Amino acid sequence: MAEIQLRNISKRWGAFVGVDNFDLTIADKEFLVLLGPSGCGKTTTMRMIAGLEDATEGDILVDGQRVNDLEPKDRDVAMVFQSYALYPNLNVYENIRFPLRVRGIDPSTHDEKVRRASAMVELDEFLHRKPAELSGGQRQRVALARAIVREPNVFLMDEPLSNLDAKLRVSTRAQIKNLSHELAVTTVYVTHDQIEAMTLADRVVVMKQGVVQQVGSPTEIYDKPANDFVASFIGSPAMNLMSGVMSGGTFSTEYTEIQNLSAPDGPVTLGFRAEDAQVVDSGGQINAPIYTMELLGDATMVTVRIGGALVSVKADKSYRAEIEDMVSIHVPSEQCHLFDAQTGARLGD
Amino acid sequence: MSSAATRKPLPLKIALWAFVTIWLLMAAFPFLWTLWGSFKVELDFFSIADWTNAITGANTERTHGSTFTGAGYDGAWVQEDFWRNVINTTFVCIFVVCTSLTIGTLGGYALSRSGFKYVFWLLITALIFRAIPPITLVSGYLPVFFDWNVWGFLPTAIIVLVAINQPFTLWMLHSFFESIPKELDESAKVDGCTQFQAFRRVIIPVMWPGVITTGLFSFLLAYNDFAVTSMILNEGNRTMIPAIAAFMGTTQTEGNVMFAVAAVVSATAPLFVMVLFFQRQIVSGLTAGAVKG
Repeated sequence: MAEIQLRNISKRWGAFVGVDNFDLTIADKEFLVLLGPSGCGKTTTMRMIAGLEDATEGDILVDGQRVNDLEPKDRDVAMVFQSYALYPNLNVYENIRFPLRVRGIDPSTHDEKVRRASAMVELDEFLHRKPAELSGGQRQRVALARAIVREPNVFLMDEPLSNLDAKLRVSTRAQIKNLSHELAVTTVYVTHDQIEAMTLADRVVVMKQGVVQQVGSPTEIYDKPANDFVASFIGSPAMNLMSGVMSGGTFSTEYTEIQNLSAPDGPVTLGFRAEDAQVVDSGGQINAPIYTMELLGDATMVTVRIGGALVSVKADKSYRAEIEDMVSIHVPSEQCHLFDAQTGARLGD
Repeated sequence: MSSAATRKPLPLKIALWAFVTIWLLMAAFPFLWTLWGSFKVELDFFSIADWTNAITGANTERTHGSTFTGAGYDGAWVQEDFWRNVINTTFVCIFVVCTSLTIGTLGGYALSRSGFKYVFWLLITALIFRAIPPITLVSGYLPVFFDWNVWGFLPTAIIVLVAINQPFTLWMLHSFFESIPKELDESAKVDGCTQFQAFRRVIIPVMWPGVITTGLFSFLLAYNDFAVTSMILNEGNRTMIPAIAAFMGTTQTEGNVMFAVAAVVSATAPLFVMVLFFQRQIVSGLTAGAVKG
C-alpha cells in the first residue's frame, strides 16, 4: 500500500528551475511514467521522491505521511538506476541480497527471497558471477532483482532501458510490464522514450522544462494532446503540425485548405496524425509536391513540405510515386487538432 | 600466436632485447654492488689502490680469513643496535600510514561527494602546502617543539610526517573517489545504508586498490624520510635513515662506513619484498561492471 502525493513541489538551483510546482497524486499500485526530453525535470522529480534530492518547496507524502525530511533508507523505496549501479565487488547473489543484509532482515529468509527475486528476472544461472562478467541486459535484470527483493512500497525506475540495444529493450520492456503486473506495487518510471511510456503506463505525465504539460492515460495523451508540445512528442511519427490561418471555419496555409473546423478566426496551429490521413487520387485537402518517400514495410510514408514543416502521411504499402510528383492528401476535419498559435494550448473540445 | 601486426623483424627484436638487458643491468647495478660490497671490509669496498678488490675481497680475506664477512652487519645490528632503529621506523610507518589513510579516505570521500565550490580551493591549498619543501616546515616547527618540550619523540615526528603527507594523500584518494560513480552511493542509500554505511560497505571495498596504492606511497615517504626525522628525533629515537646517516658521519673508525652499507642493504631489502608483494594489488579497473561500461 502506497499512495504518493506530491504537493506543489519545486526544485531550484539558484535561479535555475529544475522542477516547477509539480502537483500530483499517484494512486496505490499505479504505474506512472514521467515522460519528457532530457533536462525536463523528470529525473529530478523521481530523485526527490527517493530522497536523493531535497525539494526546495512543497511536500512529498507517502500514505499521508510527510517524508521530506526522511533519509532515502527510511522511505521504503527501491530504485533502478540508468547506469545499473551494481556493487562490482559482490557477485549477483550478494548484490541482490545486499538490501536484506543492510536492513537487518532475518538471515534465514535471505536465501529464499534472493532466489525468488532472481527467478522472477531469470537470473538463476548467473548468481555466482560478478557484474563485470554480465551483459548489459543481465546487469539491468540484477538491478531489477535487487529492487524487488525486499518488496518495497514504491518502485522508482530511472530510464532503466536506455542503455540497452533496441532488441533487448523491447524484451526487457515486456518483462518489466509483466513484473509490475505480478508485483502490483506503486511504480514511478522515468523515460524520454514515448513508446515505453505508451506501453507501460497507467498514467503518463509529460514534462517540459520543469513544467507538467499534461497528465493522463496513454490514450488520452495520444488522442487529445493538451498542447502542441505533447502533440509533437507523442506518437511515432509525431503528429504533423502546420501553422496557418482560420477564417470562417476554414484552415488555410501553403498547399492546404481544410474546411468544417470550429475555431475562432486568426492564426492557429493545426495537427493531425500520419495514420489519420489518406493519400487520394484527387480532391484532397492538401495538394503538394512530394518531398520524400519512405518504405516502412507495412506502409509507405509520404512526406510533403508545408510552410517549412514536414507533414507525413501513411499510404498503402504498394503506393509508389516519385519525389516532386504532386500528391493529394485527404485530411478528415474530425481528426484535426487545433492549437493556439501563440500559447500552443489546445483549442475546442 | 603473435599476429602479423605485432610481429617484428629480427634485428629490431635483438635491439629491443639488448636495450632492455642493458637498462636492467644499469638499474640493478647500484643495488647489486652495494649488496656485494656489504660483505667486504672498507679497504676493499672503498679501495683506492685497486677497485677490483671490491670484487675479489683481498683485504677481507687478509682480515677475516674469508672473502666474505658479516662484520658490517654484526657491527650495525649488534654493536650499534640497529634493530632499535628498525623498530622505530616500523612504529613511525605504521602510525603515519594509518593516520594519513584514515583522514585521507574520510576527507577524500567527503570532498569528492560534496557539491560545493570550496572543494576546489581546499584541494589547491593542499597542493600548495605539498609544494613547500618539508625542510622549511621543519625549521618552523622546531622552536615550538623545543618550547613545548616535545622535541625528540617519535609521536612528534609522526605528527609532522602526517602533516606533510596529508595533502598528497588527500589529493590522491580524492581522485580515486571521483572515479567511483556517485550512483553507487545513491544505490546503497536507497537500499538502506546511511551515508557512512555506504562509505564502509560499498565504496571502500571498491576503493581497495586506491587505498593500497596511496598507503604504499605514504609508507615510502615515512620510511625514506630524512629531512624531518633527522631534525626532530633525538639520538635514542632515530629511525633507520638518520641512523644510517649517523654511521656515515662518524668516520674515525674503520668499520663504521661498512655499518652504514650493511644498514642500507638491511633497509632496502624489505622495500623490495613489499613492492613485489603489493604490485599485484595495485590494479585499477576493479570498478568495471559497476555501471554500464
